[in-house]
Amino acid sequence: MRDIFKAEWLRYRLWVLAFAVVHLLLLAFFNRLTDLGQQPLNVYRAFAGAYSAIGALLGLHQMGTWRRPNQWINLLHRPVGPRRIALGLLAAGAAAMALAVLLPVLALLAWQAWGTTRVAETRHVLLAAAAFLVAICGYLTGAYAMLADRRHAGAGLVLIAWIAVAQASGAGAVLIQGIACAWLLIMVLIAFRPDLGESPRSPVAMAFTAITVQVGVYLLLVLAGFVGELGWIMQGTHPANMSHPPAGGHVETDRLSPRDRMLAGLAQASGTEVPLWREQVALSEVYPLERQRRAVPERGDLGNAAAVEFDDRVRRVHWTFNHERMRFEGVSLADGTRRGERGIGAKDDAFPAVATPGGPLPGMGKDDVTLIAGNSLYQYRAATGDIVPRILLPQREWILGSTPVGGSLALLGDRAVYVFDARHLGDGDAPVHARYRIPMPGKAGDLADVDMVELVDGYLVSFTFTWRAYDMRGATPYQTVLWVNDAGAVVPVATRTLHQDFPAFYRYRKWWASPVMYTLCTRAKHLFSAPDPLEAYATPPIPDDIRALAAALALVVACVGAWIAWRRVHGLSSRIAWTLACAIVGLPALVSLMLLVPRREAFVGDSANTRPVT
Amino acid sequence: MTGTAHDGFVIETRGLSKRYGRKIAIDCLDIAIPAGSIHAIVGANGAGKSTLFRILLGFLPATAGEARILGRDSRYLTPSDRERIGFVNEEHTLPGWMTVAEVTAMQRRHYARWSQPAFDEVIGHYNVEATQKVGQLSRGERAGFNLALSLAQRPELLVLDEPTLGLDVVAKRAFLETLMHSNAAEGCTVIYCSHQMEEVERVADNLIILERGALRNMSSPDEFRSRVSHWVADIPFRGPDPRLVPGLLDEQRIDGVYHYLVLDQGEAFVEFLRACGARDVHRLPVSLDRAINGFLSRQHAVPAAA
Repeated sequence: MRDIFKAEWLRYRLWVLAFAVVHLLLLAFFNRLTDLGQQPLNVYRAFAGAYSAIGALLGLHQMGTWRRPNQWINLLHRPVGPRRIALGLLAAGAAAMALAVLLPVLALLAWQAWGTTRVAETRHVLLAAAAFLVAICGYLTGAYAMLADRRHAGAGLVLIAWIAVAQASGAGAVLIQGIACAWLLIMVLIAFRPDLGESPRSPVAMAFTAITVQVGVYLLLVLAGFVGELGWIMQGTHPANMSHPPAGGHVETDRLSPRDRMLAGLAQASGTEVPLWREQVALSEVYPLERQRRAVPERGDLGNAAAVEFDDRVRRVHWTFNHERMRFEGVSLADGTRRGERGIGAKDDAFPAVATPGGPLPGMGKDDVTLIAGNSLYQYRAATGDIVPRILLPQREWILGSTPVGGSLALLGDRAVYVFDARHLGDGDAPVHARYRIPMPGKAGDLADVDMVELVDGYLVSFTFTWRAYDMRGATPYQTVLWVNDAGAVVPVATRTLHQDFPAFYRYRKWWASPVMYTLCTRAKHLFSAPDPLEAYATPPIPDDIRALAAALALVVACVGAWIAWRRVHGLSSRIAWTLACAIVGLPALVSLMLLVPRREAFVGDSANTRPVT
Repeated sequence: MTGTAHDGFVIETRGLSKRYGRKIAIDCLDIAIPAGSIHAIVGANGAGKSTLFRILLGFLPATAGEARILGRDSRYLTPSDRERIGFVNEEHTLPGWMTVAEVTAMQRRHYARWSQPAFDEVIGHYNVEATQKVGQLSRGERAGFNLALSLAQRPELLVLDEPTLGLDVVAKRAFLETLMHSNAAEGCTVIYCSHQMEEVERVADNLIILERGALRNMSSPDEFRSRVSHWVADIPFRGPDPRLVPGLLDEQRIDGVYHYLVLDQGEAFVEFLRACGARDVHRLPVSLDRAINGFLSRQHAVPAAA
């Protein structure tokens, strides 16, 4: 193995070295332009895509050149087991990725830590590890594509897709990348055999490959549904793209102005005050409450879900949040020197959660900045350069945004809307208490719009829960209007059930195509991720007709699968296993059976060449 | 499944078949090649020679039948089995980015039975420097280096798949001389696959002819050549219908004289020709090249004008 590694390393070393130098120069250039350690997630995704593509190119080239028949025999026909040969080649590839990808990123990180005054923290080391692992995943995906039978050569992309959609952050994300690497390594070792392209021999290897292929097929089915949706859009009958969406549906409600939406919510309401409220709504300003957050930033995130830096234009200081210290670190905008760190209050206490800039408070100084950290809202006072708490919500609640509503401030949390007196906020710098708390009549994940209007005797608040109405996860769409009176009592006014604009067949397409795969993919997506309070949904039960559709599909697939298994697969136990897989997993298992187990080559009994040996 | 040659055969196949879609590459092949000496496998392009080697070395699954090499089922060759089998292909695929010394050192570490004297003896026939990159070697030098590496492994069985393809006359001669006269090749069974009949005639003790994936002959080259005869007949009128000519491999009319290449025909064939109106009949010697070519081309479609 050491010899194979050495030989392969000699093959690529100059190219890898050249790439490493170019990579380092590019990173240094970009780091001069901006702080590469404080980029949004999509920037890191772009880097990850590039590293993955570079790795894939290496894998494709390396195995592509070895897999030619004579090269392959020359490589494998030696007194060294195929697995050891494979590990030698792959170790060389991994070393190439370490030199070309990991070392330049680590060098950049070292420069960041010791050559600049920018924030450098442990999560940036994880970022370097992630870059390396993603490149390795790409490399192994390319290697597998060359070694496996072409019918399922792209199966390695499943693991790349997993990394791309996984919700885990920080060390959890790196762990997922590590698992994906290990999984791909096993796939490559299974495919790395003298008789290239043949189906795996052992049941375990077959099961391992089959699961990956089945997930890949499932993702392709989902993608096919998306392509079909594009056709639906082109046809002009897609509810989300119709010029006149279906009446009474959630698309129509989402498109209404805040006033019209409020009036629509009151349309079915009864009560003595309702006519008066309708008149007031028609005459008053209806405020849509801003939802400034769709994701909660987590400590140790590899990327920034929201900006974690702001400028003090008075003192000319750029403040960047440090996840390790849970405080802001300042750097002079004038000369780049360190300006200390800033926490909460006079003692510079650590923030309870990752702090990000929020919307302005009423009466706030023009250079002041609000900071939202979990359930708290803070004010950075430019005049004094300190950070003071202004609003504290109950524990385990999250602030999603704030909006001035007349003489008040409405604060949108993940469980309630809070109304504060703007005068109290503007007068001093002490924490203020809410005048009203209006519990959210639904889940934060479903929430699409919150509209608010100030009445003579309180507020009317309309909640519209339609955010994921097009999808099986979202609640059955509805709108609820609440009235909070001067005494702070919350009174339900009306609830309007909205029509489903998308048929159940469409909304549940990811489920009925394969309930098992849907569950597997959903769990894999959320593996190692903390429950996101902003992704809480009031998911309705699956309708019976959709369950019946899935069952009928599983039955048909099981029958077809059994027929194909009996024709193609050797051994009774294998046939039964494939049939069961088709029944349980459904269409992805059937397609994987057809891809992994080709038709048997016909026995040569019908040969025309029947002359005897002479 | 054992690790030693079974019943003294280095290669055995039983009902071995391989199809690529509708195309038959190996057709119910039953063959048993005994240990010792040099066996030549010849056949036209597409006869199934390379496919046979790939199946035997475990790089291609058979459609049906079984294949054994050195007594081991080809599907389950172990690293120690591979150590006993040398293989040289026509491309001499060696890592071009490594030096001769580096490749040699790697092979030396891989093969426990490595014989440095054998390597030195063979490589001594070629002007190859240890510091040269393999990619810088000429094709002939690369072939020699490849042969040296294979013989230094001291294999029990050496498979040479058209090793002289693309070599010039000098390089080809050097390769064959090395193979035939090197001490390193002693005690090693050699399977030599080639299209070059003069090479086959020179090196082979046993001639195996494959045609369309099936075994057509297995005998010494002289024995095979004795089965093919070349008759020249002066027939003043039209010659016999080729379909009626017994054992016909090839028929030509040159300067009004009929030339017949036939298989397994004795003096009775003279009587046949005379019965067809031949005034004069005589037999010419047949080279192995001509005999094999005639044997292999009998089923091939030829242009109408030929």
